[in-house]
Amino acid sequence: MPPRRDADFIVTDESDPEEDILDEDYVVSRAARARKGKGKEKELAGESRKAQEQAYAWEASYKRSWDTVQEDEAGSLQAAVQDLVARSKRRRLLGGNAPIRRTIIRHMMLLMDLSTAMLDRDMRPSRFDLTLSYAREFVSEWFDQNPLGQMGVVGMRNGVGERIGEISGNPQEVQKCFAEKAKLEPAGEPSLQNSIEMARASMSHLPTHSSREILIIFGSLTTVDPGNIHDTVDACVRDQIRISIVSLSAEMKICRDMCERTGGVFGVALNEGHYKDLLFELVPPPAEKSSVSRLAAQAAANESELMQMGFPTRLPITSPPSLCVCHSRLRSEGYICPRCNSKVCDVPTDCDICGLMIVSSPHLARSYHHLFPAPAYRAVTELDGSEAPTCHGCSLPFSTATRDRNVVSEEGMSPFGRYRCPKCKHDFDAECDLFVHDVLHVCPGCG
Amino acid sequence: MSLPAHISLILDLTPVPWAALSRASPPLALRSFLAQALVFLHAHLALRNENSVSVFGALPGRSVGLYPPVSRGSRDRGAEEGADENTFHVFQQVDEGLMRRVEEEVAGLEEVEEDAPPALVGALTKSLCYINRLANPPPPLNPTDAPPPAPHARIVLFSVSPDASVAYIPFMNCIFSAQKLKVPIDVCKIDDSEVIFLHQASDLTGGAFVHVDQREALLQYLSMCFLSETETRKTLAVPTQDKVDFRAACFCHKEIVDIGYVCSVCLSIFCKPVAQCSTCHTNFSPDTLVRFGGVGMNGHGASNGTTA
Repeated sequence: MPPRRDADFIVTDESDPEEDILDEDYVVSRAARARKGKGKEKELAGESRKAQEQAYAWEASYKRSWDTVQEDEAGSLQAAVQDLVARSKRRRLLGGNAPIRRTIIRHMMLLMDLSTAMLDRDMRPSRFDLTLSYAREFVSEWFDQNPLGQMGVVGMRNGVGERIGEISGNPQEVQKCFAEKAKLEPAGEPSLQNSIEMARASMSHLPTHSSREILIIFGSLTTVDPGNIHDTVDACVRDQIRISIVSLSAEMKICRDMCERTGGVFGVALNEGHYKDLLFELVPPPAEKSSVSRLAAQAAANESELMQMGFPTRLPITSPPSLCVCHSRLRSEGYICPRCNSKVCDVPTDCDICGLMIVSSPHLARSYHHLFPAPAYRAVTELDGSEAPTCHGCSLPFSTATRDRNVVSEEGMSPFGRYRCPKCKHDFDAECDLFVHDVLHVCPGCG
Repeated sequence: MSLPAHISLILDLTPVPWAALSRASPPLALRSFLAQALVFLHAHLALRNENSVSVFGALPGRSVGLYPPVSRGSRDRGAEEGADENTFHVFQQVDEGLMRRVEEEVAGLEEVEEDAPPALVGALTKSLCYINRLANPPPPLNPTDAPPPAPHARIVLFSVSPDASVAYIPFMNCIFSAQKLKVPIDVCKIDDSEVIFLHQASDLTGGAFVHVDQREALLQYLSMCFLSETETRKTLAVPTQDKVDFRAACFCHKEIVDIGYVCSVCLSIFCKPVAQCSTCHTNFSPDTLVRFGGVGMNGHGASNGTTA
């Protein structure tokens, strides 16, 4: 392999025809990364020189962001850069109104590519290291938003699927899978079919009202399969398993087909930031909209049940010790079953005496913001003089400086930095808009 | 030394319970309560120069920011001129700003709104938005200036009225956001009503929960229980609630239940078995309904499936 050129990465005719496909992809993704230019001044300033005509389809979705950047009076790019950052934040919010029906009890198998393709260094520090650190963040965020979900981990290397973590509802246990890096050292070729079959087998016992998903982080461009992978995909469609793939190298037909047929999402990561975005888009529970899951919903409609649950009282550590009904051990802490008043050690569980399912209500409440989301704010584009001088959320005054209209009128940005709740008609600034919809899920005006 | 601290005070300014409290024995009038709260804020501000406070009020049906005041140029300058040389100017700012705003808001209360429950959720969300802004300050104009470090924030909530179970879901969302921002919610319960959601708030966010038994000693409670910083608290025994009640409010009647019926699709909680989920419109299988008995007797707009 020729040595990689880090400093300048212009794709020209002189590039070696024997250069393998990974290397070419590397060049392309580097160019894309630089071009996307996440608002870094230096990149923006020096970029136009490197801009080149390239006939790739994905280029169509990129604007020449450096053309829209304008210096302010002092010759600084600060304002323009802030604007770009605000815009990229805003883009995430424009996803549209969430449908009411989402799968709350999720089961996910995380399939990690551990083939030699993961040693590639096109993402810093390497695909493998980056994947490990993103996977850790992903797991904690996923359990934060899906507290009743369960997740298992399967690795793909040496042509087989390797069970790394059993399916579990405990985030610490899943996190532990990524703790020992030495055990996950990439080797050999990945096998999609073997790993999917393994993931499918470990989810086969799950009840019908839960959703089943497979998330594949795939770095390789090849797969070694013992049989026909289309049969495996058929089986997944039958079992209503949703397959989503984040590819780190390039689009493969089989991957896209797999995702489309099972109702999942397929994405190719362009750079580190995009990789994270793709991964974290899979954190919120998927809406029930694809044909596959509509079938699942119909099937579930006949079998969905009303579950009787008890919400316990927790005893403090200072209470007099008593025997618990689960281990017959003398303890002072514990939870009291609301129906039979027996003491259990931990929730969620089924009461050993009366069989009532005991859960702590905050566990359930964590998922309610999916059912009752805060209304999406609309950008204020016209002022009529009667607006409040301060943000209704944080009480800070709005900036009076108006930005250039022509630049910011697109993408739902407000030239005044004001976003209005359609329900309570109060104005919020961009930071509060983001906070309300990403974290709080309650509109301060309506609440 | 550790980072500066920020206290966000949330005052329940519902007139009816305050009127009751001022007649109870021992009495605690709103005015004397505010005086003691101000001493508490002074103590916090005096601990460290960079410490800051914000105050939000929950009135019946709406919430307001009470401090810091909305800057309106001329008015601020007027306050500056009347400055008393014998008072630390920050104390004076808080005293005057807060008292003026409370008087304005209480005087502006109308008869009709007095029955509505206090908008605790509104005050909490505003407080959280403000804390979020402190944690993510707008980028400085001069990029060479390092932004000031984000303070350790905590919320102290004074409650004088019982739980509003109508606002269960927004309230829980506030708790989870506070957890995410690592903001403990301290609860100071002044009257004797039951507040299980505030129990859960202080428990889940790691804050203190104090029920003021002897109202004459309010200031003592405040300075002993709530003045310590989040860092210092690790080495102190901060009073918490001994029993935490994890009950929830049902979606249909907003009643607080200890045994509920939960939809397996969307996890909505109902106090009685229903034939159809009112949130996601799932029809439940007749078998389960028969098992729990009392099918559809209380039909919440659900008609299908009841005949089965």
